[in-house]
Order: sequence, then C-alpha cells, then structure tokens
Amino acid sequence: MPVDKNQIIEKDKVVVEGIELTAEWNRMFAQRTVSNYDDSLMDQLTSIEGAESLGWCYQCGQCVPVCPVDAVGGDYGPRKIYRKVQQGINLLEDPDLWKCTTCSNCLRVCPKTVNMVEIMPALRGEAVMEGLDVPEELQEAFENTFEYGNPLGESQRKRADWVKETGSNVPIMKEIKRPVDVLWFVECYPSYHARGKEASAALARILNALGVDFGILGTEEKCSCDSQRLAGEQGLFEEFAEANIKTLGKYKFNKILVTDPHALNALKKEYPKYGGEYEVVHYTTFLAPMINQLEFKKTLNYKVTFHDPCYLGRHNGEYEAPRQILQALPGVELIEMGRCRQDSYCCGGGGGGMWLDGFMADHVQERLSENRVREAVETGAEVLAVCCPYEVSRFEDAVKSTGNEGKLIVRDIAELIVEAMG
Amino acid sequence: MASQDILIIGGGPAGLEAAKGVADLGYKAILVEKRDRLGGTPDEAQYAALTPDLRPADEALKDMIDPVVNHPNVEVHYNTLVTGAEGELGNFTIKAVQLGKEVSFQAGAVLVCTGFQHFDPGRETQKYGYYEHDDVITLVDAEKMLKAHKFVRPSTGEPPKRVCFIQCVGSRDRQIGNEYCSKVCCGIASKQAIEIRQLLPDCKVYIFYIDMRMYGYWENEIYWPAQEKYKVNYIKGIATEIIKKGDRLLVKGEDTTLRRPMEVPMDVVILSVGMEPSSGTREMAKIFGLKQNKYGFIETEGGPLDTVTTNVPGVFAVGACTGPADLEDTVSAAGLAVMKAIAAVRKAEPATA
Repeated sequence: MPVDKNQIIEKDKVVVEGIELTAEWNRMFAQRTVSNYDDSLMDQLTSIEGAESLGWCYQCGQCVPVCPVDAVGGDYGPRKIYRKVQQGINLLEDPDLWKCTTCSNCLRVCPKTVNMVEIMPALRGEAVMEGLDVPEELQEAFENTFEYGNPLGESQRKRADWVKETGSNVPIMKEIKRPVDVLWFVECYPSYHARGKEASAALARILNALGVDFGILGTEEKCSCDSQRLAGEQGLFEEFAEANIKTLGKYKFNKILVTDPHALNALKKEYPKYGGEYEVVHYTTFLAPMINQLEFKKTLNYKVTFHDPCYLGRHNGEYEAPRQILQALPGVELIEMGRCRQDSYCCGGGGGGMWLDGFMADHVQERLSENRVREAVETGAEVLAVCCPYEVSRFEDAVKSTGNEGKLIVRDIAELIVEAMG
Repeated sequence: MASQDILIIGGGPAGLEAAKGVADLGYKAILVEKRDRLGGTPDEAQYAALTPDLRPADEALKDMIDPVVNHPNVEVHYNTLVTGAEGELGNFTIKAVQLGKEVSFQAGAVLVCTGFQHFDPGRETQKYGYYEHDDVITLVDAEKMLKAHKFVRPSTGEPPKRVCFIQCVGSRDRQIGNEYCSKVCCGIASKQAIEIRQLLPDCKVYIFYIDMRMYGYWENEIYWPAQEKYKVNYIKGIATEIIKKGDRLLVKGEDTTLRRPMEVPMDVVILSVGMEPSSGTREMAKIFGLKQNKYGFIETEGGPLDTVTTNVPGVFAVGACTGPADLEDTVSAAGLAVMKAIAAVRKAEPATA
C-alpha cells in the first residue's frame, strides 16, 4: 500500500498538553518490536550468483548519504536494505527491489565492497524468473524491447528515420558496403526520442565537419540492452548482445563510437563476455582531442554546469573529456555543482529507472532529476550540459516541474558544440 | 650473594615465553607454577582453538611448553605457590609452599606472569540470569564444549538451533567497576561463532554488540570471514535481559540500527565475559609491594612506552596481570620483560670478563 504522505507527520517539536515531544516521539504510528531475525532469507538471497556481497555489510552507513534514492526521501540506502533482509523482509517481493538506479556511488564509498551494481540485477533477475511482481511500466519496457528492439516501442524499420528527418548526412553500413574508420552505435533514445534525435543530428554534423569516416548500422542496430540487464532481464540482454555482435561482425571498422554511456558500458564491459571485443569510445572522449579542429563562429556567453552521467563517470572513468569540450567552446563559463565527478548525483534513469517514474513517484518525495535540477539552478548556471540521452528529457521535465522554466535550459554537449559552430 | 637467575611466577603463555627467552640467552630460569602442569588459563579453562588463527590450543601450548621443560637452563617447580619475598634487585629470596613443604629460591630478578581470570557474570548482578538459566553460559563454558566437539543446549543435551552472544559482559561497565574494554572478547565471540557454524551448519548465530572491537588483523582474519563466509549475524545493540519463555530463552534489547525494541527467542545465550586480575595477580602484587590500578591489575611504570616495569626495581609484570591482553600482547611483553630483567641483573652485578 502506498504511503499517504499527507497522513504521516513528524514535526521537529510538538507540544501536547504542555509537554514537549521531540520528533522521535511524535510520529503517528507505533514501533513494532523485532521478534525474529529470519536469516534464512539472507542465506537464500546471498546464495544467488551476483548477490553474495549483500551479506557483507557491517552497517557503517557510508552508503546512505551518497545514495540518490535516499536523498529524495526514499528511506532507502544499501545499509537499510541489508538490515531489512536480516530482519526477514523479502526483498524479492518488496518495492525496494526496484528503487536502485545502479549509479554505483555506494560501491565507490563501501569499505566492504558490497556491490549493488551486481546485487540488484541478480535479485531482480530472480524476481523476473520467479514471475514475481515486476512494476508494470518496467514490464512494458521489457516487452517493447523484446517485440520492437527498443524500449520505446517504436518500429525497428524507423530506427534510422532520424537521419532523413533531420536532413543529416549519415552513411549507413548496409548501403555503403565499405569499411569505415568509426562505427557509430546510435542506440535507442538518440534514434527515436525527439530530443535525442536533435542531439544525434548535432553529432552527425560535428563528425562531418571533422571529416570523420563513419557509418551507422541503421535498422540493423538493436538496443544494447544494458539498462534492461541491470533491471533484471539478463536473458533479453544476452539475446540482444548476440544479435548486435552478429551484425557488427558483418562490417569492418576500427572503433565503435557511442552516444549513450549505457551502450558504452554494455559494449565495453559486457559484450566481450559473448565474444564481441571492440575498441569503444564515448562521443565526448572521441571529440575532446579534436575539439580545436572545429571552427567556432558564435560566442555562447553561457554559464554552464555539467552533469556527469553515472555510466560515463563512475562506471567508466571518464570525467575530463566533457569538461575539456565545454571549456573549449567560446564564451562558456563552466561552474561545477557540489556533487560532481566521482560524487556526481544520479538523474534517476539508470538501472531501469528510466521506465519506473510512475512507480518511484509513490515512494519518493521528488524525482531524482528534480533534486539534480535544483542543485544545477543553485549554481547560477543558465545551461545544464549533459551527454547521456536519458538526461535531456528527464532534466527538461524536471526543469518544468520544479518551476525553473526560463532559468535553466538543458543541452546535450553535441548541441552546444553545434551552436558554437554557428 | 648476588644472583643473575630469573624467577618466573606462572606457567601460562607469559611465563612460558619468558622462561624460554631467559634460557635461550644463557641465563637460568626458575619457573614456579601453582598447578601440577604448565599452560596456564588456556590449559586450565580448556581452550579449544586460539584467537585469531583457530590453531588448536593443545598443539600451540605444546609448542610453548616443550622447549621450556626440555631446556637445560630451565628449572620447573610444579605445585608451588609463592608466599613471600624479601631482598632487592640482584638478590631476592622468594619463599614458597610446595605440596605443604616450605621452600625458597634465590634470584636476581622476578617476572610476575600470573595472568587474569574470567569475569563471573553472576558476581555483581544477575542481569542475565547466568546462575538461573541452564542455557545461559559464558565464553569459557562454550569453549569447553567446542573443545569436546559437542555443542549442545545444557538444558536438553540437544544441539541448539539459535545461539547468540552478548558482548561486553563485565567490561565497559561503571556499575560493575570494570570500565575498561577486555580487548579479546569481540574476537573470541566471533571465533566461537565460526566454530559453532562449522560444527552445526543449521544453527543460526547472532552477536549482539555495542561496537565490534577487532584490532588490527583480527578485523579481516576473524570478523569479516565470520560475517561473509560463516554468515554470522551481527546486530548492533546489546541485550538487556533474558527471560525464560517455554523451554527457550527470550532475549530482550534494542536493535539500535532499526531503532526498535527487540525480543528474540534463543536456545543458548553465550555471555562474552571479560578479564579481571586473577587471585594470583592480586596476591603477588601484595607480596612484592607492586602498585595496582583501581581494577586490581599490576600497574606498570612509563605509560605506553614501558609495559613491563613495575614500581619495584627488579620485579617485572608480564601480560594479562597488567591488564586485558591477547596472546600477541602477552608474548611480546614477555620478550621485553626478559630483556629488561637480564639488563637489570647484569647492571646490578656486572659480569666479569
């Protein structure tokens, strides 16, 4: 049952019949007594491959302040998960199973290396396999992926339509029938989502301006499926990985360029397990060394703050390239948010979060993206620069819902480059 | 007449290590032990395995005892209780009773190695009902069962399904008067928890603690494997009382990380009792005029920089008679005391070339 937030009140101080009650004592519910520690559940969960380290927590609590879900009133945090399981709450049937965005900030600070990035996919996979309750919207994203090859439920035949729609000059491998230097793995949101397509068109223009020899897979490309894997669909991931590896095997190229840090993660770290070994680079990593070869006609005069994507920064160690690019753009003043680089906050889209906004709304006081947008606004920046296709739409929604329209605009780094090119 | 012999009182780990050290340096060690065998508390209390490496206690003690009893420079006197002392550095006369007979020894320096005793959980308070409930036992009782490879509920003789440890019993307690941390109980409880899990894989084991104090390598050698490999449950918040419920025990306390009251049934409750000075330690302090701290342990001079020198020149205190000590502390202090004692007797009467 979702909690009615209006009914639960915990005030700093309440005076009842002349007696002052601190917050600890004025909650409107009684404490339950712990009457059992059923550790058979801990044994069961930690025996699932990948979830072993859940049992290693020694409750130091360092994960809680850096957990993005806890920060939005989610009453979550890996330490708390451990205690709930120790107390006999079955995580496989608990809403907490779906809250983690696999942002990896807890693992960064965990002295016992309790690895939520492995625990969550393992336990979610178990829940999916056992046919337990999977949030409906996530289930829909899984089904769309299975049926259409992308979580948005768009037609596979239209995967390369953005090229014509945006009037971009983008060679498609199947048509050009020749090796390329760079194979651009576009991924789903940059192919189908309105704001994603704009960023893709921008990146295409940049690649052409730099004279990069590139091509895309077009309608042959399928979702990299990394977020579906992290959300519990290992089977779907394997099927898609094998299909993409087979397609990639048909063509000759030197490296793969990705727009999406989640695709970067999949292609770089997961595909090799299935025989797909490639040199994979994120577009910011690719462009940073060449940024000065571009001719900039326009001075932007923007104060810009940058949001590190979890799967580019913490997961794959790239913090500098996006900043090098932004600082190379004429008129850009880069202002950092307090939580940046290794300690960057999460937009809420990773690990399946992209498809759980409705579900999460029942469990948190505000969206993670809203929390982040408020922080961006506080820096005084006019532009929130991003380089993950999940983020543009999430942050633009959050700008509206937090009443910051007109104060902050959200731009993909590729869009900012193109704007400066004039 | 001046002597360079070293008299060692107590044949536990401290005394054994000291005797071997003295003898190896070519001096004569006179080892007096009140029992009819060596090994001290680990032997008397029938320790099963040592902390932290879980080495069988018998085997480890044998490795300490053999070089001592077989050493030509060591004289071992069993059944010998020291009753008095006079003289000074370089020239002590120690009186003792040996099976009812008075004897005396001459020595240049004395090492007091009389150790500790386990806290008696029924002595000050009956909070946990140690003398009331058969299934409430101590680390010492548990150790005996583990040594026999048979861990059971004392009330039924059956293997338990749920066992918990309660930490800090008799330690860190102003009301009891033992304000100090006994240093080894967190490690020993975790070690025993591992042994219980090895012996009874179906038995669940819980440790209720205030804070786990696993110094140095004990952290990764005992605590982490106990939790990660042997699935011992660590619960922050120690139990306050134990109530009989049916044929089980109901352990009441607060789970402080959940901030909830806790009442959980257990088959066996093990009280992690701490260390106190042994009667021998108190007696030797009196006989030699050694300063004791408020807890009765022998006080050493020089704070953290000298753990063995007492207020009486020529008398040194080693190991758990000076305060809670683990085996590492004890054998290290023994080596230090041997060095200082021999330096002292040589200085008192410089050896002729």
